[in-house]
Amino acid sequence: MAMICLLDLSSCETTSFTPPPVTTELARSNSSQRGNIVMLREGRALFVHRCIECHTLPAFWHYSTEDWPKIVNSMSQRSNLKPEEREAVIAYILAVRAQKKF
Amino acid sequence: MSSGGVRHFTFLYEANTSARGSLELENWITWQRATGSGRFDQVDFRHELEYGATDSFQVSIYLTDWFYESDPAHSGFTYSDTALELIYNLTNPVVDPLGFSIYGELKAGDRLVELESKLIAQKNLGPLILAYNATLESLWEGHDLAEREGELSQALGASYEISPRISVGLEILHEFVLPEWRDEEKMRNFFVGPNVSYRRQNWFVTGTALAQATDTDHEPDFQLRIIFGIAL
Repeated sequence: MAMICLLDLSSCETTSFTPPPVTTELARSNSSQRGNIVMLREGRALFVHRCIECHTLPAFWHYSTEDWPKIVNSMSQRSNLKPEEREAVIAYILAVRAQKKF
Repeated sequence: MSSGGVRHFTFLYEANTSARGSLELENWITWQRATGSGRFDQVDFRHELEYGATDSFQVSIYLTDWFYESDPAHSGFTYSDTALELIYNLTNPVVDPLGFSIYGELKAGDRLVELESKLIAQKNLGPLILAYNATLESLWEGHDLAEREGELSQALGASYEISPRISVGLEILHEFVLPEWRDEEKMRNFFVGPNVSYRRQNWFVTGTALAQATDTDHEPDFQLRIIFGIAL
């Protein structure tokens, strides 16, 4: 019964909670020029795996373009991110922000 | 090394596993109290090392499980067991429709062997985490491990992040205890209660208080579990 409820909930409109996939359009809108499409894909994969080990994923608009790199840097040790992985996560977040024009 | 991750629940497991290379020490304390004819107080302690072998495979060792018990007949400390726990993550609770992990545990102690397997499901919906565990336990204990017991349980939990450091939620535990695997002797227990989790840069503490909604004798009427985790 509980499992059915969970499945039912997961089938609701949850796309707004899902970080957008990396597309060529997203890569093009990467105004920060931080990274290519491969790096952005790695950044998304790390974002959805590592960050949820401690907390839920905040909305991209929740923090400014200036604040995001500081936030990711401050948590990179805790999430075991290597420097290049940290850059990939920041690149992905900033690319999404640029595309959505928050 | 970095932290293994924060627990939002104490009677449920979450589908996500520790980051590759991370190591964490977790200390568990569980206080159980039963009243009535089968009254007792028991405090269980667990010291666990958790290691992220890969991004989807987590290995944990329960260095020691021990407990203090007090009932009308006697009281004292007892070593219980040491265990190996493995969790493999199959799907992600954010980007996949449901996050799934499978869990296996082998526990061995003084006249005690236990096997436990679990299916863990989870969905993250923004600041809300929903988790479900289905668990099957087989226990052999006593002289020559002649006493057997089975347990089937389901747990459902919700945790809402009210700030980046604090989450609050609810846990529900429904279990069938089957002494000697006999259906006619089964005991049904239902527990429900709130949880709260607080985290800082390198540590977290999560607590859950559960009350028994059924009226099973010799089972706790109340349980309080606190897990304190720190990065190593």
